[in-house]
Amino acid sequence: MSDIDPTTSSDQRVLGFVEGTPPVGDRKIPREEDSVMVWPHLLVRHAVVALAVIVFVLLLALFFNAPLREMANPTVTPNPEKAPWYFAALQELLFRFHPLVAGVLVPGAIIVGLVALPFIDRNPDTRQRNRKVAVATFTIFMVVWILLTVIGFAFRGPNWGWVWPWLEWYGEL
Amino acid sequence: MSLMDSIRKSAVGRSIWRTPKRVTDRDRAAAHWGNFFLHIYPVKMRREQISFKWSWFLGVASMVLYGSLVASGVYLMFFYVPSPTTAYGDIIFLQTNVAFGQYIRNIHRWSAHLMVVAVAAHMAKMFYRGAYKPPREFNWLIGVVLLILTLLLSFTGYLLPWDQLAYWAITVGTSMTEFVPVIGDTVRAMLIGGTEVGAQTLLRFYVLHVAVLPSLLIGLIMIHLWRWRKDSMLEVDVEVGNE
Repeated sequence: MSDIDPTTSSDQRVLGFVEGTPPVGDRKIPREEDSVMVWPHLLVRHAVVALAVIVFVLLLALFFNAPLREMANPTVTPNPEKAPWYFAALQELLFRFHPLVAGVLVPGAIIVGLVALPFIDRNPDTRQRNRKVAVATFTIFMVVWILLTVIGFAFRGPNWGWVWPWLEWYGEL
Repeated sequence: MSLMDSIRKSAVGRSIWRTPKRVTDRDRAAAHWGNFFLHIYPVKMRREQISFKWSWFLGVASMVLYGSLVASGVYLMFFYVPSPTTAYGDIIFLQTNVAFGQYIRNIHRWSAHLMVVAVAAHMAKMFYRGAYKPPREFNWLIGVVLLILTLLLSFTGYLLPWDQLAYWAITVGTSMTEFVPVIGDTVRAMLIGGTEVGAQTLLRFYVLHVAVLPSLLIGLIMIHLWRWRKDSMLEVDVEVGNE
């Protein structure tokens, strides 16, 4: 037998245990507004995110090779001629509108709009139900932009004609 | 006492960490404050601020992808000369004869695409949270510039393999600047160093891609994170009433 009394802790003798929750005053319920130490609480989360991202990239790189076509040849223009995917929406706009609108006004307005956003939207409330106009405007813009990007990237073929991506594929990454 | 504790308490350990005790929150805060690598983080944050739904961790994902791009990009630089006569051959050589060449190039390519997605998604998430509102308007503005720099980095890198895909994507992409009134032609000529994509363009895009843009990006990220840290501490301070 050990000479340390197992029912003694911090010089106090434990006389018995009672089932149930502690009295209200002693109960520690973590609240959303409580502050916590960044190390370890946030840094552990960041480490997990970092590892997840790295594993995802390593697996992607394992299964899909980066594309490489024939050597650049200024005399042979491919059809369709496609910009990188993040400019596909602009290219799609260029097909539908006057170049001054699609190539200058729209991208200019997007950049100016994003930069000026905090100074246009003076509503201090951050709850979404109290900023319906801002949320609706941004959501519509994003949906339209993603739609244009997908169309320009996957639904356009030779001479920028409409193609169904499951029948003919012209998207390039 | 753990091994780490005894290392911290040794003469060398004290000289490195300066705070040998890690018992109370105050000790831990002092240790955090004295650590160079943790200086980009605040010491404390509200519980909701470190939850997934707060940020979806898209900012840190963007940073990790940027790190992956720098690491893989430096490896690629060892095997690449930005000249139309050599560039394409260098990529072929890289893919066939260099140890892990193809794999590192794949990592660089997919990290680049993912970084564009992550940065754009980060911006959208910050919009929906209303994180651009006072007092953080300026950090949103820096974020917009960071998104533009990310797009430019991806775009300049797109040309470097010097294959048909690269050449014509850059031709289409840069032709959009022609429509800018008055300065359009000058801007395009400055960007591609002539009237059409050629040797000068490749050199310019390379220098922008490996030196100018990454430096600008990391510099702005520092300011972005510094402001993020200050603002998150501000919120904790306001919370406990010592604004």
